[in-house]
Amino acid sequence: MARTEAPQTDESTKSEALSTLGRYAGPATLILSSLADGTKHGYALTKDIEAFADVRIAPGTLYEALARLERQGLIEPVESHDRRRPYRLTADGALALRVHLNSQRRVADVGLRRLASSTGTP
Amino acid sequence: MTDTSDAAAKRARRLLRCYPHVWRARYGDEFTQLLIDDMSERPRSMRRTADVIRTGLLARAASAGLAGDALEPQQQIRCGLAAVGCALIAFLAFGVAIWSQLTIGWQWSAPAAPATKTAMLVMSAVILVFVVLALLAAIPLAWTLFRTCVRGRVGGPFAPMTSVVLGAALLVVGSIHFGHGWPGTGGHPWAGRDIVPGPVARFCWAATLWITSYWAHPGALASFPTSEITWMVVSPIALLAVLVGAANTLRRLSFSHRVLRYESWLGTAAALAMAGFLAGASCWIISGSPAPHGLFRVGAIDLVALVVMAVALILAFRAAQRALAASLIRSATR
Repeated sequence: MARTEAPQTDESTKSEALSTLGRYAGPATLILSSLADGTKHGYALTKDIEAFADVRIAPGTLYEALARLERQGLIEPVESHDRRRPYRLTADGALALRVHLNSQRRVADVGLRRLASSTGTP
Repeated sequence: MTDTSDAAAKRARRLLRCYPHVWRARYGDEFTQLLIDDMSERPRSMRRTADVIRTGLLARAASAGLAGDALEPQQQIRCGLAAVGCALIAFLAFGVAIWSQLTIGWQWSAPAAPATKTAMLVMSAVILVFVVLALLAAIPLAWTLFRTCVRGRVGGPFAPMTSVVLGAALLVVGSIHFGHGWPGTGGHPWAGRDIVPGPVARFCWAATLWITSYWAHPGALASFPTSEITWMVVSPIALLAVLVGAANTLRRLSFSHRVLRYESWLGTAAALAMAGFLAGASCWIISGSPAPHGLFRVGAIDLVALVVMAVALILAFRAAQRALAASLIRSATR
């Protein structure tokens, strides 16, 4: 019993890590999603997020979110000899993102299902 | 490097100044590079500038313990208390300027309007509360400073302490000297009928002589004696020297959690006292009824002072609340 419960407690803690970001949850989800396929520096993050989400995160907002995510241990900087310092997702960050996106998907599924049943369109 | 990228680097470095020193030390290089990259794609962007200014100010507020969760509880308490101290000094400078002006009026004639009388009584009582709070706050700080000095642990405290001593000496000597020009006595032989003792009122008036609307009227200001104008320039600098010196001295001391929690409670009490003082000052300014001979008349500088005090009160409340919350969290987790 304890062995099956432990990961759930961990998952709920990691889910809270993103939900406590409040108004920063949007940029944080986009940044974590962007880092999910590998390390990226600030400008690469901006361009990648613009490409997959059609959202341009302004530099100040990007670093505000990066600093918070780093403090929470969800991302970490990678050693670099360049001024463009890359960041990568930590194991905690990956777990938090998975939990958060799954909960978002549940909300999206319910919304779409209810829309389909009320309007009759899939 | 081309002229364009040079100009971009220069603009990026200028924008970086919006952030506090600690933030710049950690993220400065990479953030500057991001700004340069962004500028190469979009040379001019009002949205980017506004975003950097907004987040820079937020980072500054966070580093002062006024926002966010970037600080450790211990650091949060210290920064919060420092913010309360700074807000309180700004509040008191303008508050005492208003109060000491009113004491002049009362010396000539007691105010006819009940609102003015109530305001003066409230403000005078709160000033007494401030004195008590200052003494209560100073005791553990002075004891910690004394103990640290005796053990020889303070690293280079003499420069900031010299700044405090010299600044305070200049303020005291100057205020006593220029207090002789106090218009409160008005040549009346019965001087001293005010609710505030004459020497105190005269000292406070001279110490806050620089808070005046004469700065907006250079012609009128030029008719003042040169020594008085010099004092009006020097006294705020001396006050700043005391403040900076005290902050630097306190920063070098390590305080126990008990002392910090005690100071947090006093910070909250000081914020409440500020609210009481502001209520008193507002009472007089809103009623705005001049007494006989135009005494207790509300001027533009009083409105400016009211705004400054209101802003200082908001900052002090927020900082005190956050410092107290951090100290209680720390107590609970110990």
